[in-house]
Amino acid sequence: MTIELHRPVDDPIVYDDLERLSFRVDRRAYTDEDLAAQEMTRIFDRCWLYVGHESEVPGPGSYVSRDVGGRPVVLARGSDGVIRVFANSCPHRGALICSQPAGQARSFRCPYHDWTFSNRGDLVGVPIPDGYGPGFRKADFGLARHRSDSYRGFVFVTFDPEQPRTLTEYLAGATEYLDLIDDQSEVGMEVIQGAQLHGARANWKLMMENSVDIYHFRALHKRYVSYMESLGSVPPRRRGGFGCALGLGHGANELPPAAARPLAYWTPMFGDEFRPRIEATAARFVDRFGAERAERITGTNRALLIFPNLMIIDAIAITIRKIDPIGAGQMAITSVALAPKDEDPDIRELRKSHYLTFLGPAGFATPDDIEIIESCQRGYLNRTVRYSDLSRGMNKEVPETTDELPAREFWRQWDRLMHGDDGHLDLARRAGTHGVPR
Amino acid sequence: MTAGLTVDEAAQVRLWHRVSQFLFREARLLDEWRLREWYDEMLTDDIRYSVPATDVRGGTADALGLIDDDAARLRQRIEQLLNGEVWCENPRSRTNRMITNVEILTDRGTHLDVAANLVVYRFGHGRSDAYVGKCRVELVVEGESFRVRSRVVVLDHETLYEHGKLSIIL
Repeated sequence: MTIELHRPVDDPIVYDDLERLSFRVDRRAYTDEDLAAQEMTRIFDRCWLYVGHESEVPGPGSYVSRDVGGRPVVLARGSDGVIRVFANSCPHRGALICSQPAGQARSFRCPYHDWTFSNRGDLVGVPIPDGYGPGFRKADFGLARHRSDSYRGFVFVTFDPEQPRTLTEYLAGATEYLDLIDDQSEVGMEVIQGAQLHGARANWKLMMENSVDIYHFRALHKRYVSYMESLGSVPPRRRGGFGCALGLGHGANELPPAAARPLAYWTPMFGDEFRPRIEATAARFVDRFGAERAERITGTNRALLIFPNLMIIDAIAITIRKIDPIGAGQMAITSVALAPKDEDPDIRELRKSHYLTFLGPAGFATPDDIEIIESCQRGYLNRTVRYSDLSRGMNKEVPETTDELPAREFWRQWDRLMHGDDGHLDLARRAGTHGVPR
Repeated sequence: MTAGLTVDEAAQVRLWHRVSQFLFREARLLDEWRLREWYDEMLTDDIRYSVPATDVRGGTADALGLIDDDAARLRQRIEQLLNGEVWCENPRSRTNRMITNVEILTDRGTHLDVAANLVVYRFGHGRSDAYVGKCRVELVVEGESFRVRSRVVVLDHETLYEHGKLSIIL
């Protein structure tokens, strides 16, 4: 049986009017279950999706299991040191071959019939093998391996064997921002243990929009701003910042720090005891990268959206936020902290402390974000109001961070993929139209 | 002497009763949003309030949690909750805390380590959520009463996908 799905081709969702400088999204995009089902096949089955960070599988035999794009997978480093992504489903009858969230294993054993697989995915053990004829070959029943690759430690997977782009091509302009994050340590970055696993009763795209929306900051997050000011946080030394489209749906905001950065941007809110070390680190970055790039790495905040569902926010701490749709009206959010591997223990504590102040389900900001997007979702129940507006900054050559360019870039790619377009895009042309500042 | 109990047992019952009454009062003040009173009258100056992540559950000291408040940040959390700046707690949610299985793990004279089970029901903004966890409390003995020096709530949930957030004090 085939299910007749809603066809956005005949009934537009995204209205992108460059003449009138108007960008509207039909709110069915957040509420329609058919569209949500189509997103899984047209977006999540085709794009490169974030799985995890290499530091989460640090040594041979280490693994994590999680859902990516609605599919259970295992990210494993084999005894040979190679990182692979497998379908977490036994090729025999389908049970999960790994039900631990993380661990260390030489092999994975399916509990249903004891089929055993090496950590490279090969089938190595089948009980009572004489039940199969001579045509049965273990080589045909290894774990299904997905196409995966990593960029600067960030591991991605694609479920589309026809995906025409390499990971680096897919990431387009986002590679520059991943470089700025991974360059923060000479020995590499690592995910800190302890994931914040939460969610929202709202469409997943609302969290993507919210994560690159700086316009809401002073309105919705007054309490965070006043807390930071009570700690002695000072307004940014520099004004400015900009939002940019990075191609293929990716976008970013880049702006001067509103507070401080534990890596190498000291302000009085961190206290005098940290000042000499943090400023010495800043000086080392100038030696390594030159003043201009060092300033960008250490003295600039950024929020990076990688299409479709990864956010990396690099400010007073770095958070990696993976956002997974659960139908049209709910999402799961996985947030972890990223930090330099060689960070001093007391600076690590400072980072974690400030991470928790702002971020996560009990921080001084994220709960309000959760509540407000749930409020939007409830507001959409009144179908008389059909569209949301995302046109801020269409009147500018270089949009500011309080504009909505990164969200528009996201929606333009969403629209292309939902129309079955494979998302081929002339990055230079778009850069001319929408501004990718260099 | 209480009928049928040795002197030691009677002392233990009295202590257990005082500790339980203290924890019940704490729950009541939190449910009634009397957060300043709770902070001023029931906590030490070096209070630590934490909620570990639901995956590692406090098993690793280096791990990131959900909440790790010192006195200053807890005070700030309280003021924000009370002054209406917390959009998701305005209007204030209704809560009901159940404290059971109160057990004095160690009695060091001046300090007590107490374990209790905790269920907090929260209703607000059209939602109803239950937070279920184990509470580990360090009490400092102060005359006939106590002050809380450490309050760790280890949630039993695998994730907070359903809850989304934790905007109240557990």
